[in-house]
Amino acid sequence: MMQQTTDELLAEIENLRARLGEAEDTLEAIRTGQVDALVVQGSDGHALFTLRTADHSYRMFIEQMTEGAITLSASGLIVYSNSQFSSMVGEPLSNVIGRQFSDFIAPSHQPVFDELFKKGWFENVKGELLVKKGDTVVSTLLSLNRLQLEDEVAISVIVTDLTAQKETERQLLLKNQQLELLNQALIDSNHDLQQFASVASHDLQEPLRKILIFSNFLKEQSFNDLPGSSRQYLEKIISSASRMKVLIIDILNYSRLSSGDDLTEEVSLTALVNEIVDDFDLWISERQARVEIHPLPVVEGNRGQLRQVFYNLINNALKFTSPDKPPHVVISCTPVDPDTQGGLPPQESAHCSIRVKDNGIGFDDQFATSIFNLFEKLNPKSTFEGSGIGLAIAKKIIDKHHGLIVAQSTPGEGAEFSIVLPYKRQ
Amino acid sequence: MTVRRVILVEDDPDDSELFTIFCGNRTDIALLPTVGNGVELMAFLESTADYTQLPHLIVLDQNMPRMNGRQTLQALRENPRYASISAVVYSTYADTTLIQDCKNLGAKMVTSKPIDAEGYRKMMDDFLEFV
Repeated sequence: MMQQTTDELLAEIENLRARLGEAEDTLEAIRTGQVDALVVQGSDGHALFTLRTADHSYRMFIEQMTEGAITLSASGLIVYSNSQFSSMVGEPLSNVIGRQFSDFIAPSHQPVFDELFKKGWFENVKGELLVKKGDTVVSTLLSLNRLQLEDEVAISVIVTDLTAQKETERQLLLKNQQLELLNQALIDSNHDLQQFASVASHDLQEPLRKILIFSNFLKEQSFNDLPGSSRQYLEKIISSASRMKVLIIDILNYSRLSSGDDLTEEVSLTALVNEIVDDFDLWISERQARVEIHPLPVVEGNRGQLRQVFYNLINNALKFTSPDKPPHVVISCTPVDPDTQGGLPPQESAHCSIRVKDNGIGFDDQFATSIFNLFEKLNPKSTFEGSGIGLAIAKKIIDKHHGLIVAQSTPGEGAEFSIVLPYKRQ
Repeated sequence: MTVRRVILVEDDPDDSELFTIFCGNRTDIALLPTVGNGVELMAFLESTADYTQLPHLIVLDQNMPRMNGRQTLQALRENPRYASISAVVYSTYADTTLIQDCKNLGAKMVTSKPIDAEGYRKMMDDFLEFV
């Protein structure tokens, strides 16, 4: 030491001055917030020093984020990490900062990251990749943004944990698969129903028709030879078989309504209703009934099905008549007031309301809803024939036309059926 | 009065008997022996060498073994010798699908089987309109 020359001492001073300058530069950089942390090469690897800077509040904000946020140096070193990222990778913060970010990337996704890191210096890029967490991996989305600092560049990375999203996607896929299975089951079941309908249509009707025709045959050929009671039995066989035939055909019609074939056309309800009333011509003149048909609109729908609806309603109106007054049926229509359609601005009405009103026996209003159920009958068979399917069919058809059918009545005074139908179908 | 040769293609013995009872006694019809299905019909037609002795009207049931009503219509249409013979279909239950299919295959009329004598008379009158 004593042998140190003046020159050596001067050099030593110069060296210390340089280090002081360097330290002052660093201090200045810290003060101005240009530096978040210092990574110092030590003998046992990198040592890191983090700093509280002027943008502490901003830092707090980053800390509160649910995403991981890190800053990478040009060599891919993590110079900053929020605690969210460290918990994402399951390591203490001190083990994260100063490490190569690529240490945390699953080996299989290393090339993906390399590519992102390369591009990230020129543009903002995003990519999904797996990040290691202990022995497992976490699915993440990386968003890389180039940061231009005073005299150097860095990359900020936002790391979004996709575990929940992936789980949701998995669940969605699972539910979709379950839905597909259910759908298939439904298609199969529908197919079975169609099969059943076809069996019912032919195989059930075949023997029934034989019963009917041979009973009729017997009646035509030997009715007069039969004793009174046998004639009565024969009549009962014929009327029961006829009833069953009506039932089978009605059930078939009902089941067939589900099977699609929705031919939509413009249907003039005036023409349709007149046509139906013509069919009842004989009945009407026999009973001295009066059928009033007011102007009816043209609507879009399935002609055959709409015919069925009005046939059933008019049939009912002419069937359930009071014994003490001649039947009077009124069929009329009014547009539905657009103002009542949920307070929308006044516009041309999209729906019409068609009423079929009679002066027949009517029904108790408590049955106003159940009257549309399959096989619902309010009157004893002995007085009024029917399958109990007619109104169920009418309701199903109106439902299919996105309409509404309701009934109201006062017993003894008559029944009124109202149908609300859209002019245009869908 | 013109007498038309009519042949029934029907596998059900009851229906075949009823048809014979109700239509066999008509003076405007010469009812040929009933055949049980389309295959038998085609064989019968083949064996009828004299063109002028072919039936004027073929009444087909739909549900039959070996060759049903639809298939028979198809076979008739494909053979120029028989394509001009009027064919009609009567079935236990004539739904819109059956009616459309058979009409497309050239059936002049498709109807449900009658349930009484009057029904048979009317059906046959309707059928003869197409001859």
